[in-house]
Amino acid sequence: MRLVLMIVAAGAALASGAFAEDEDPFADTVEIRHGLMLQMASELGKVGAMAKEEAPYDAAVAGKAAANIVAIASVLSMDQFPAGSEYQKATDSFALPAIWEKQDDFLTKIADLNTAAAAFQTAASTDLASLKTGMEGIGGACAACHKAYRQPEE
Amino acid sequence: MRIMRWLIVLGLAAAGGVYLMARPKPLAAAAVAELTGDAVHGEQVFWAAGCASCHMAAEAKGEAELVLSGGQRFPSDFGTFIAPNISQDVEHGIGSWTLLDLANAITRGVSPKGEHYYPALPYASYAKMEMQDVADLYAFLKTLPADPTPSQPHELGFPFNIRDSIGVWKLLFLSKNWALPGNLTPTATRGRYIAEAMAHCGECHTPRNLLGGMDTTRWLGGAPNPSGDGRIPNITPGKLAWSAADIVQYLTTGFTPDFDSVGGHMAHVVENMARLPESDRQAVAEYILAVPSVE
Repeated sequence: MRLVLMIVAAGAALASGAFAEDEDPFADTVEIRHGLMLQMASELGKVGAMAKEEAPYDAAVAGKAAANIVAIASVLSMDQFPAGSEYQKATDSFALPAIWEKQDDFLTKIADLNTAAAAFQTAASTDLASLKTGMEGIGGACAACHKAYRQPEE
Repeated sequence: MRIMRWLIVLGLAAAGGVYLMARPKPLAAAAVAELTGDAVHGEQVFWAAGCASCHMAAEAKGEAELVLSGGQRFPSDFGTFIAPNISQDVEHGIGSWTLLDLANAITRGVSPKGEHYYPALPYASYAKMEMQDVADLYAFLKTLPADPTPSQPHELGFPFNIRDSIGVWKLLFLSKNWALPGNLTPTATRGRYIAEAMAHCGECHTPRNLLGGMDTTRWLGGAPNPSGDGRIPNITPGKLAWSAADIVQYLTTGFTPDFDSVGGHMAHVVENMARLPESDRQAVAEYILAVPSVE
């Protein structure tokens, strides 16, 4: 009985998965993008709490978070942005068509984020003042891309 | 019949009265005569007031942000405004302006020729600026480059293309009163000055009435985005449950408390605020938290 239930459940899961894929070929793509951004937000939360002095400054924790930010930034590329996975074409996508129209600039902004992240990795494990200043560089890089290439949510 | 005639006379008199009251009202020359500008402080005023965000070329970056050649388009319910060239070019910019011309433009909405400017130039906010800050701003603007790009006319439909009607708008909405009146702490008082007089937060975050004036009873209570995309958020304490530290961090880095990042025109505002001393961002945060909640 239990086995039957499990098979039925597995079958239903497969079917719904297959259905979702039929419906939107970019479902995984968009989920990966959002997951990367959420992981970025999670790492930033650790150093952000220190910048706001809501958590004590800890060079090791800050350094590890910054290393993770460097790693996430290094993953970003056109691989997560296949043609067609844009706002109003792919479900839950906020990626503006300008990404593909001005791909060189988009990639420059990703490169800028990697540069800012590398600088932040040094700053975050130096002291609190450097961490605070470094946050501005990361924030600027995030905003530069979001300003140009993300549909505002509300 | 006789009554009719009197009514016509009265009507003409009233129209004449409104016409006289709605004429451009420039400052007296004495308002700025004694002032000497400090360009170093003027740069702080320049960023706080957000001049470059609208007057630089679209998507300008770095040093190019200081080339105030104009050309950015601002759609609204009344038509599309196109930011003019305010670089130091004598012919196409404001290179020939005196300090009094600048003071009239930004605090009275009056051009050197004595015409009304449209309130897309946020003089309803700048009207509250200290004249010394205007003098400092003038001194800083003088250090910026000239650019020969001609300004383009606004794209407005009837009746908004009649500049005289702006005089009536000014009678209704141009005021030196604070939206958040009364005595505040010294820090919040500084924050009020930055937010209400210079950074002109209310111009986007406060809903407007039918005639396009800011509804001060719903100050910073959120409004439709004039460019058509969604809404500008309600940032009063009831709706935006952010601490002072959250607001300071947002205005410094662009990160929200859950580490989403700023986008849209607000990204310019954050870039501007980030150039001010941290004490000024603290002041703005304290001011925001003192604003009454709007449902």
